[in-house]
Amino acid sequence: MTISTTPLPVEVEAPVAKPAAKRSRLWAWLIFIAGALYFLVPLGATFWWSLRAEAGVLGFEAYRRLFDDANFWPSFTESVVNAVAAILLSLIIIVPTAYWVTLKLPRLRPVVEFITLLPFVIPAVVLVFGLIRLYGRPPLLLTATYDSSRVLLICAYAALSFPYMFRSVDNGLRAMDVRTLTEAALSLGAGWPTVMRRVIFPNLRVALLSGALLTFAIVIGELTIALFMAQQTFGPYMANLTRSKVYEPSAMAIVAFALTWVAMGTIALVTRPGRRR
Amino acid sequence: MKRYALAVALVMLVAACGDDTGTTTTAGTSETTAADGATTTTAAAGATTTAAEAGGMEELVAAAQAEGTLTTIALPHDWCGYGAVIEAFKAKYGLEVNELDPGAGSAEELEAIEANKDNPGPQAPDVVDIGLAFGPQAKDAGQIQPYKVATWDDIPEGAKDPDGYWYGDYYGVLSLEVNTAEVDPVPAEYADLLDPAYNGQVALSGDPLTSNAAMLSVWAAGLGTGATGEEAAQAGLDFFAQLNGAGNFVPIDGDSRTVGIGETPILIDWSYNSIANDVNLAGNPDIETVVPSAGRLAGVYVQAISAYAPHPNAAKLWMEYLYSDEGQLGWAAGFCHPIRFEAMTAAGTIPPDIAEQLPSTEGAFFPSIDEISAAQAVIVEGWPSVVGVTVEPSPSG
Amino acid sequence: MGGARRPPRFHFGRWLGVLPFFIFSGLFLIGPAVILAYRSLEGPDGTLTLDNYRALTTDTVMAAYGASIRLSLTTALVGGIFGFLLAWAVSMGGLGRSLRSGMTTFSGVASNFAGVPLAAAFIFTLGRVGVITDLLTWMGFDLYGSGFTLYRFWGLTLVYLYFQIPLMVLVLLPALDGLKQDWREAAENLGATPRQYWRRVAFPVLLPSILGTMILLFGNAFGAHATAYALTGGSIPLATLLIGQQISGDVLNNPGLGYAVAMGMVFIMAICIVIYSILQRRSERWLG
Repeated sequence: MTISTTPLPVEVEAPVAKPAAKRSRLWAWLIFIAGALYFLVPLGATFWWSLRAEAGVLGFEAYRRLFDDANFWPSFTESVVNAVAAILLSLIIIVPTAYWVTLKLPRLRPVVEFITLLPFVIPAVVLVFGLIRLYGRPPLLLTATYDSSRVLLICAYAALSFPYMFRSVDNGLRAMDVRTLTEAALSLGAGWPTVMRRVIFPNLRVALLSGALLTFAIVIGELTIALFMAQQTFGPYMANLTRSKVYEPSAMAIVAFALTWVAMGTIALVTRPGRRR
Repeated sequence: MKRYALAVALVMLVAACGDDTGTTTTAGTSETTAADGATTTTAAAGATTTAAEAGGMEELVAAAQAEGTLTTIALPHDWCGYGAVIEAFKAKYGLEVNELDPGAGSAEELEAIEANKDNPGPQAPDVVDIGLAFGPQAKDAGQIQPYKVATWDDIPEGAKDPDGYWYGDYYGVLSLEVNTAEVDPVPAEYADLLDPAYNGQVALSGDPLTSNAAMLSVWAAGLGTGATGEEAAQAGLDFFAQLNGAGNFVPIDGDSRTVGIGETPILIDWSYNSIANDVNLAGNPDIETVVPSAGRLAGVYVQAISAYAPHPNAAKLWMEYLYSDEGQLGWAAGFCHPIRFEAMTAAGTIPPDIAEQLPSTEGAFFPSIDEISAAQAVIVEGWPSVVGVTVEPSPSG
Repeated sequence: MGGARRPPRFHFGRWLGVLPFFIFSGLFLIGPAVILAYRSLEGPDGTLTLDNYRALTTDTVMAAYGASIRLSLTTALVGGIFGFLLAWAVSMGGLGRSLRSGMTTFSGVASNFAGVPLAAAFIFTLGRVGVITDLLTWMGFDLYGSGFTLYRFWGLTLVYLYFQIPLMVLVLLPALDGLKQDWREAAENLGATPRQYWRRVAFPVLLPSILGTMILLFGNAFGAHATAYALTGGSIPLATLLIGQQISGDVLNNPGLGYAVAMGMVFIMAICIVIYSILQRRSERWLG
């Protein structure tokens, strides 16, 4: 890094309202608007289509039919419960792992990263057949009942979330210079649980939120594994609707999008830091 | 409409003093399950092949109710009116029906049986509804067990396995499902589809490499040129190459939805799906079902009970129900020709209003399993080059 | 920062932290992967054979791998760049807290908006009877007449970006937050222009995270199946579609080949990780 030889500028306060900052703000707006257009137009088109269920009339008939359907809410709530369980399970496993790999076992990193990326290359259909083969027969029979299959499903979802959870947590750990913080905390006499609870987790809040949101979205819409596990979750419900109807799927896409967004907003609100940093 | 049909059917069933323990075709079929070495789960009523052996219908119903659940797979509610059939079955016998993947294809159904061999849980299907060509395949693989329903004799010879492993359930003809809001004029024959007016409008219901129905559609188009057998399969490939070259072919899998939104306004699909879609959409948009006269191809599906069924008695009861007049009329209400169509027509058990909404199968070609396999071999071989599945995906395409 | 190298002695306590991970992965990822490997050696009649692996070198399969890699690379790069820009815009562009949280939660949802609903949304927008298509026609431009189609490579790329960009945004935001304000101020006090700041300070710091996230994007696109199928019906050769055809198809039914193709995908991902590790180690030298 070259060190400029010009003398320090006279003004001492931080350069906030310089034209350069304004220009970067303009760029930020442009980028944001371009992004918003790209993301919102297809949603808008879907919404517009969903209003056409009644011939010649723009109305909410498709939504009415959707909410009247007996399976809509039960399948959605079942998926939400699965999602929360999977998130907790994934957090408990990934955070210590990422932490350990970063601090103590850096040479194990490629192995761990490879494993966390396995869900990408094992197609869902292959994964579920593998799970059924392993746990669908004695001696490890876990699929005998609907509920035990559900537990298996949640474990599979936690595994599916590994790529996103690990990457998020890893990015978060990098950003917080975890080594220094840990050494500082330890040298101040903190025990490991305290380090985790008061140093690591609070600083990882944003990263954990990202990972949790991604996992939530995955679980809500997941189709293949739920289908083969004979679970009545939201994914199979949506797929079934899409297969047979013309207008309801669009209404459902909008509703699912909105519901998931609300749920995520709730998660984000709940995990908001208590005091300003 | 469907409720009326069911009510009529029920009345007739009662009036006909249905005595299902009549026909016992047990002659020489005592080799039920041991022969193929499949490990069947022994049911309360034993490994029986007819209701009579099971001690009559009441015993079967009792045994099925003791099991409590039936697990089905690949039964979309809009397909041949399965939704109503399943509801009627549940109401009649008080059983629950655990429905697995409605979108599964025949191979996936058999894969589900295979993968859940030792699994007594809800993931294992009890019964399957598969394409004709898959019956012998499943029998050879030991995936199904034999059972002959009470009305066995009404099933035409070519549509059932002599040992009772699989048996035809319904049939239909391939047709053109046309979204009349987007398509004008409405085509009448496969040859019409080459017209430039249909640019970017024609689609198949699946990928001929993976979907039986789509493969048969290619064959049907070839039959429409007047060729027969394997030459027709090649003619079908040539036809689609032409269609693709003219820009009329849309490479996505069409279904009721894509027809309705106008993305694949002309879809080659089973007539019963097309008519059902028309009814569902109630004119928004208006769907017309065109059954071509040249290249009229019929397809038969078959029922079978899984060799590893966790609820074999429920499965057998389901079969008895499907092949009773009530079940068969349930399918007819879904615009499918029930397999006992001729017998029932002769006996006068089909209400006229149901009969007249079934499309005509006159002159339709009912291929045998061998003929299907031969055509399939040709189509699978040649399809990749037809659609221009380019080895190098070009930037503009 | 480097840190002293500890003597590499085996300390059980050190492994305790990662044990749950390995047990869990063993049960639910590696176990099925082993089954995958085993079944890739099965021929159509059930005997063990290497034929499936030999079949991997045929034109069809190689084309499928090539197309998948090309698609995944493109969407990872384009998605990475735009995702980075968007993440920058909401975190450091001065747009306000509420826009950022809105973007974050939206990204969470959008990153998993895939398959048929996503394909349908784009068909409603840019399909033959789509909203934008009609708009362009009204403005005098025939979109489909010019050769554009949603059902080929660039159409697929456009659709894939819908879940790639949000993924990049979401996973990169924590890293952008880690760019401390003081570094920026220190750089400016030393006379650095914003460009120099980015080139010499910010990017080197961010590079491992950016690369790592791009690998994630690559993997995400590589393993995508539902969206590709919904848009192409299998007419473009992609590895995941090929697997589906072989395992689930009614017509071509050779599951062993499908599993072998999947093993090939695992291998390709492994190579990606290796490349990523090398790149990451080099970029970490900036921080050392």
